[in-house]
Amino acid sequence: MKTHSVCLPILATLALSAAVTRANVNINNAARGVSPSNAKLYVPDSVNNWSCLDGSKTIPFSAVNDDYCDCIDGSDEPGTSACGTGQFYCANIGHTPSNIKTSRVNDGVCDEECCDGSDEYDGQTHCPNVCEEVGAKAREENDRIQSIQNEGARLRRGFIKHGKANKVSLTNELETLRDQVDQVQLALNDARAKLDAANEEQGAYLEGSKSEREATRRQQLEPLIQEQTKRLKYAIEVRDMLKITLQNLKEKHNKNFHDMAVKGTVSGFDDYIVAQGEKTEVVEDDLASLASDRQFDALVDETSVVLRDIGTLHDLLDGMKRDYNTEYNDEAVLAAVKVTDDFEITWDSSKLDFADVEHLVLPEELPVDSPEAEKFRDATDLAQAAFNEASDKENKIQEGIRDIERKLNMDFGPDETFSQLVDKCFDFKDTEYTYSVCLFGDANQSSHSSTHLGKFSGWEGDNYDVQMYTGGTKCWNGPERSVKLVMSCGTTTEIVSVTEPEKCEYLFKLQTPAVCPIPEGEGEADEQEQDQERQQDQQQEEEGEEHTRKHDEL
Amino acid sequence: MFNRPRMHRSRPPLPGSASRRTVLWPFVISLTVVLMVSAVKQEDFKTCAQSGFCTRNRAYAELASGTPDWESPFRLDPTSLQLEDGVLTGDLIHAPTSSSSSAESGGALNAGYTIEVHLLDSDAVRVRMNERDPKRRRYDGLQKSVLVKPLVSSTQYDQLGRDEDGLFTINYGSRRQNSARIRFAPFQIEFLADGVSTLVLNEGGLLKIEAAQVWSDVADTRTRTPMERRLEQGMWSERFKDIIDTKPRGPESFGLDITFPDIEDVYGIPEHASSLSLKTTRGPGAQYNEPYRLYNLDVFEYEIDSPMALYGSIPFMLGHSKDKTAGVFWMNAAETWIDIEKIESTSGSSRRTTRTHWYSEAGVLDLFVFLGPTHRDIFKQYSSLVGTTALPQSFSIGYHQCRWNYISQKDVIEVDAGFETHEIPYDVLWLDIEHTNGKRYFTWDPKQFPDPFDMQLHLANKGRKMVTIIDPHIKMDRGYHISKEATDKSLFVMNNHLKPFDGWCWPGSSQWIDFENPRAKDWWASQFSYDRYKGSTNTLFTWNDMNEPSVFTGPEITLPKDAMHYNRVEHRSIHNIYGAMFHAATAQGLSTRNETLQRPFVLSRAFFAGSQRYGSVWTGDNKASWEHFEVAAPMLLTIGLAGLPFSGADVGGFFGDPEPELLTRWYQAGAFYPFFRAHAHLDSKRREPWLFGEPYTSQIRAAIRTRYSLLPFWYTLFQEASMDGVPIIRPMFFEFPSDEATYRMEDQFMVGEALLVKPVTTAGATQSEVYFAGNEKWFEFYDGQVKQGPGVQSVSSPAYKIPVYQRAGTIVPKRETPRRSSKEMENDPFTLVVALDSKGEAYGRLYLDDGESYEYSRGDYILREFKVQGSVLTSRSLNRQESETEWSFIRRYSSLKVERIVFQGLSEPVSRVVIDGRPTVVESWHDVAGKQHVVIVSRANLSIGQDWSVSLS
Repeated sequence: MKTHSVCLPILATLALSAAVTRANVNINNAARGVSPSNAKLYVPDSVNNWSCLDGSKTIPFSAVNDDYCDCIDGSDEPGTSACGTGQFYCANIGHTPSNIKTSRVNDGVCDEECCDGSDEYDGQTHCPNVCEEVGAKAREENDRIQSIQNEGARLRRGFIKHGKANKVSLTNELETLRDQVDQVQLALNDARAKLDAANEEQGAYLEGSKSEREATRRQQLEPLIQEQTKRLKYAIEVRDMLKITLQNLKEKHNKNFHDMAVKGTVSGFDDYIVAQGEKTEVVEDDLASLASDRQFDALVDETSVVLRDIGTLHDLLDGMKRDYNTEYNDEAVLAAVKVTDDFEITWDSSKLDFADVEHLVLPEELPVDSPEAEKFRDATDLAQAAFNEASDKENKIQEGIRDIERKLNMDFGPDETFSQLVDKCFDFKDTEYTYSVCLFGDANQSSHSSTHLGKFSGWEGDNYDVQMYTGGTKCWNGPERSVKLVMSCGTTTEIVSVTEPEKCEYLFKLQTPAVCPIPEGEGEADEQEQDQERQQDQQQEEEGEEHTRKHDEL
Repeated sequence: MFNRPRMHRSRPPLPGSASRRTVLWPFVISLTVVLMVSAVKQEDFKTCAQSGFCTRNRAYAELASGTPDWESPFRLDPTSLQLEDGVLTGDLIHAPTSSSSSAESGGALNAGYTIEVHLLDSDAVRVRMNERDPKRRRYDGLQKSVLVKPLVSSTQYDQLGRDEDGLFTINYGSRRQNSARIRFAPFQIEFLADGVSTLVLNEGGLLKIEAAQVWSDVADTRTRTPMERRLEQGMWSERFKDIIDTKPRGPESFGLDITFPDIEDVYGIPEHASSLSLKTTRGPGAQYNEPYRLYNLDVFEYEIDSPMALYGSIPFMLGHSKDKTAGVFWMNAAETWIDIEKIESTSGSSRRTTRTHWYSEAGVLDLFVFLGPTHRDIFKQYSSLVGTTALPQSFSIGYHQCRWNYISQKDVIEVDAGFETHEIPYDVLWLDIEHTNGKRYFTWDPKQFPDPFDMQLHLANKGRKMVTIIDPHIKMDRGYHISKEATDKSLFVMNNHLKPFDGWCWPGSSQWIDFENPRAKDWWASQFSYDRYKGSTNTLFTWNDMNEPSVFTGPEITLPKDAMHYNRVEHRSIHNIYGAMFHAATAQGLSTRNETLQRPFVLSRAFFAGSQRYGSVWTGDNKASWEHFEVAAPMLLTIGLAGLPFSGADVGGFFGDPEPELLTRWYQAGAFYPFFRAHAHLDSKRREPWLFGEPYTSQIRAAIRTRYSLLPFWYTLFQEASMDGVPIIRPMFFEFPSDEATYRMEDQFMVGEALLVKPVTTAGATQSEVYFAGNEKWFEFYDGQVKQGPGVQSVSSPAYKIPVYQRAGTIVPKRETPRRSSKEMENDPFTLVVALDSKGEAYGRLYLDDGESYEYSRGDYILREFKVQGSVLTSRSLNRQESETEWSFIRRYSSLKVERIVFQGLSEPVSRVVIDGRPTVVESWHDVAGKQHVVIVSRANLSIGQDWSVSLS
C-alpha cells in the first residue's frame, strides 16, 4: 500500500533514520501511554538501547517518549503526539481501558474515550477524571443492552427453529407436488389432443359455409362499425387538439422562468412525440378490406389507443396545471391551463360515449342452426371443458411449486432466521408520510397516494443485517427510489426510523430479534422449551404491528 | 446553488407511463417522463447583439476599423490645460472630422467634456472623463465603496510642456521614471515607463461618451442605414425575453480603447470560465465571437471556455511581456464588455500589440493606470487603492466540508463522527438553505435543528466551527422579523415605480436589501448579534450566496436594471458591486458581534474589486467533470491576479456525481487552493471522503493532511498577501516573469514562491508533464527527488499523489503532527524544510498570531525570517515593534519549538552542525542517490520566537 509513503513524507522518514543521542529524559515517561500488556515491550536492552517495534531502527531508550518521532511506525512515542500514529493507552480506572490515537494526546480536547483525562497532561488543558460516573452509566447501559440481547437471542432461537422446520416441510411439500407433475401433464396433453381433434372437425365443417356466414355477419355488424368509426374520429379530433395545445405551450412558454412543472410537461410531451414517431397511424381504408369481425376489433383497438393518448396528454397538462407557478403569469402556460379546464368540462360530458356501460361489444355470431352443426359444437364444448379442467389442475400444481421454490430460494441467512419474517409488513409514520415495508417484498411511501420505493433485491454485505430494496418509482430529476434497510437487535420487530440521507435514497432502521447475537457455543436449547417459545413468539409476531413502540433498540 | 424555482421533495413523476397490448399493428409505447436538468441555457443570458449599448459601442469600433484613416473625433483644447497639485485638467471637445462624421448618429452628442489626470502618491495615475454640463447627472458614487482611503496626490512630477511634436508630457514617479504623453488632436494619452511606451488610451480612436439626453433631443425621422440603426440600438428601451428595461435615463454608455503596445498577453477581468491569458474577441481569427462580459449573474453549470459573464466582476487587467508590464483598473460597476484584439506592432517589434476596448453602460469614465515597473509593484499600487486581502480567521484556511444539505442536527453529528473515525482533519461543517425555517435566514428549522447551540458546541469542543448560509433575498412575510424591520425602515430595493420590488427566489416571493442606503449596512450587520441571530455562537460563521443578486423572475435571473436604490440610484449603475456591498455588511456583522473586534469569515459568490477586504469567494456552481476541474486552475489564478487571493472551487464539482478518481484528484489539487471546500448539490449522491472505500479514503486523507501540515506556510502567505496585495497561488509567469514559455501556462501553478503544483486532470493518468522553470533545482515534496530546470520533464503521478515540488532557494515551515483541526495544532512544534539553491542559499518566513483577533495590528504577532547564507541558517525577527513581551500571543507562543530542520540540496556531506555556537553532533545525514546531500537536524529544540543560528560544516 503505497499511500503510506504519502502520509509519512520521506523528509520525516529520513529524520527517523538518524542516530540519536539525547540525555536527561525522565525514565518514568517511558511507560506513558503504554498498555499493561505492552509494558514488556518498553524495556531497554543491555546497553540501554531500544528497538522500534517494527524492528526498523534502534535508538537509545531515553529517546522513548521524548516528544520526538524516531520510528516509522511511531512506536517510540506511545505517550506523546510527536508521531501521532501510535496508540495511547488510557487506564480509565472505574470504566474500561481504551486506546486512542497519539495524535489526540495534548491536543486540547478531553477525549471521551479517555475518561481519566490522562491524554491531556501538558498543562494547557485540564481534563477531570470522570471514569466513575461514565463507568456507572456505561454499566447501566450495558445491563440494558444485555437484557435486550438475552431476550432477543431467545426469540431469535425461536425464529431459527421455525425457519429450519419450515424449510423441511416446504421441501417435503415440493417433493409431493413434483411427483404429481408428470401425471397431470399426461392428462393435460391427452385433453389437448382431444380438443384439437374436435376443433379441426368443426373447422372443416364451418369452412364449407364461410362466405355465406360472412355476409350475414357483416349485416349484423355494420351499424356497430359505423358507430365505432364515428367515435374514433371524435377521439382523434380531441387528441389532436391537446397535441396542438402542448405544441403551442412548448414553443411559446417563457423559458427564463425555469418553472419545473412547465419544463416537466414539455419534456414529457417531447418523449410522447418521440414514442409517437415509432408507430403507424391506422388508415380507415386498410380496415375496410378486412373481415367484419377483425375490422370492428381493429376500430375498437385503435380507439382505445387514441383514448390512451388523450389520457397521457391530459395527464401532462393536468400535472402542469396542478404545480405551475401562478406568480409568473406566463401567457402560454395560462392558455394551456385554460384549454385543460375546458377539456375537462366537455370531456366529462362526452366521455360517456366511451364509458364501459356504452362500450360496443362484438356480439356473438348467430349460431348456425342445423343438427349437424350442433353436433360438432357439442363435441367441441365437451372437449374444451375437459381441457380446461386438466389445465387448471396443472396450473395449480405448477403455481404451488413456484411459490415453494421462491421461498426455498430466498436467502434467509445461514440459520434460516428470516423465514419467520418473510412477507411480514411494517409501517412507520412521520409527520408527512407513512412508510411501509413488506420484508422480502416491497417498500412504499404513502400520504394521499402511494409511491413505490423499491422491491427487495438482496442482502448487502455478509452479515445478514442490511437489505436493499431497489427499482422504485423514478424520482423527479433523480434516480429510481431505493431503500436501504438496516437492522439492529431488539425484542420486537418494527421500524424505528426512516430518513432520506440522499435524495430518493431512503434509510429504514428496523429493530428485530432476528439479528440479536446468539452467544457463541450455545447449543440447541431444550426442545420442549423451544416449542413453548415458538408459540409465544408467533403470538407476539401476530400482535407485533399493534404494539406501541417501546424503542428498546440498541 | 443554481436557480431552480421550486424544490420537490422526492416528488412522484408525472403520470403518463403506458405500455399497451399488441393489436393488429404491433407496437409498444413506453412513455416515461424523464426530466433532465440540462446545462447552462445560453438563451437566458444576453449576447452582445441583444444588449443595446454593447451593440452601439461594438458598431462604433467596426465603423472605425472599416473607415480608412479613422481619427477619433475627440480633441483636447490646448488652452484649457492646467496642472496643479498633481492634477491635470482640461476640456475635451467632440469635433467630428470627415472620416468620423457618420459616427455622429445617436442624437445630439454633447460637444463639451472634461478630462482629469490625477498623479497619485502610489505612482498610479487616475484618468477621468465626464460631460461638462450633463442634462442628467451620471452616477459617480462608486469610490466610497471601492477605494480604501482618500487618494493622495503625488508631488513627484515634472511638467515638460509641449514639445515640437505638439505633445504635452509629464514625467512622474520618484525617479521620474514614468511619463504621460498627451496628444491634443486626435486626443490620446500614452504612458511610458523608462521611456518605453507601455499603455496608450484612445490610440484606436474608440473613445465614445454618450451624452445624457432627453427624448425630445433625438426626435429624428431620417431613414437610417443598418450601421446607423446599430449605432442607436436600444437607447430608450430594450426588451430581453419578455422583460422590458424602461431606461428612463436614456443612453449614457461610454467606451475607450486601451492599448498595450508590444505586449501579447493580458490577464485578469474575472470572472469567466476561460483561459489565463485572455483570448481575442475581435479581428481576424478571433478566438471568441463575443466580447468578455462583466455582469454578475447566477449561471448554473456554466459553459467552459467562454467569455460569458459569471458571478463576479473585477475590471482589472494586467498586461505582461518580457520587458514591460502594465495594469489598468476600470472603476465602474455597471454592465461592462471588453473586446480584445491582437494587432501588428507599430514599433517594429516582433511581438504583437494587444488592443482592448472597454465599454460600460452607465456611470463615469474613471480608470487607473499602473506602470510598475515590476508586476509585483503593480499589485502593490492597485491594492493601495482597493485594499489587500484581509488577514483571515486562521481556521478558514483549513478544510471545509459542505453539502446541500446536511439535513439535521443528527446528520451533522454523524458526519463529524465520520471524520473522527477516519482520522481526517477538517475545520468547518457547513449548512445550506435547508437548515432554515422556510428559507428565512437567521432562523433554524425547529424540527431538524432543535438545538443549534448544542450542535455547535459539539463541534467547537474539537476546535471546529460551523457556517450557515445567509442570502440577500428576504422572504416577504410580515411575521418574519427581518422582513418586517426592513419594511418598516424602508430598506428594500424599489422597482421602477418606486414601490418595493418583489421577485422570486428560494423562499418564494422575496425582497432585496438596498445596501446603497447608508443605514442598511449597520442595520444588516446588527442582525448578527447573538441576541438577534438566535442559536448563533462565536463559532458560527457565514456564507453569502445568490448575491449577484439572483432573482428567478428577473431579466437574466437578476434584478431589473431600472430597479431603484436609495437616492434614485438605478440598479444599472451599481449592479456589479451589489454583491460586494452585501458581503461587506455581513463581514461587519461578524466582526462586531463580540465584545472586542474579531476577524470575520464570510464566503461570497458575487464579488467586485475590493471584495478581498471582506472574505473569500468561490467559483460558484461548477460540475463534477474533468473539464470543470481543469478550468478551476485558470479561473482561480485569474481571480488572484485581480487582487482577490482567497478563492476556491467546489472540490468534487457541485452538480452531478464525481467518479472516485476525479474526486480524489480534485482533493489533491484542492488542497492547494487558497480556499479549500468540498460541496455537493442536493440531487447528488453523498460523497464524504470515506464513502468510496480504499484506496480512495487513504488518498483523500493524505491530500487533506498535506494541507494541514502546510498551514503555517499558507498562513504566512496570507499575511504577505495582506501586506502586498500579491496573489497566493500564482501563475508560473508571476514567479518567472521573463520566461515567455510560462505566459500561457495554466495547468500548473505556484503556491507562494516556494511550491510548484501540477493538478492531474486526466482520468487514469499516472505520468505528468511538468515544466520546471528557471535554472535551479526542484525538490519533490514527498520524497525529495531532485529535478533540474529549465524544461519539461515527465514525472510520475500515481493515484496517491500529484506532482508538488519545492523550489531551490526556499524554506517552507510545516507542522507534521496530524491533528483533528487547525485549532488543535497551535501548540505543536515546527519543521523547517530548507531547499538550498546552487549558491547554497535559501530564504523563507513564518508568520504566527492568535488567528482570530486584530491584536496583530497592534504588534502581537511573530514574524520570523529564515535565511541560509554561507552554510549558516539564521532566524531573526521581522516584527515591527520592540517590547514584544507585553503581548499575550508572543508571550505564550514564542517558546514553541522548531523540532526538526531538513536541509536539502547540499553540495557536500556535512560533518558538523553547530547550534548557536554550541557544537552539536551531526544527528543525521543522508545521501540520496549520490546526487545531493540531506541533513536532518532532529530535536533541534529551537524557540520560534528567538534569534538563533545553525551552522553546517
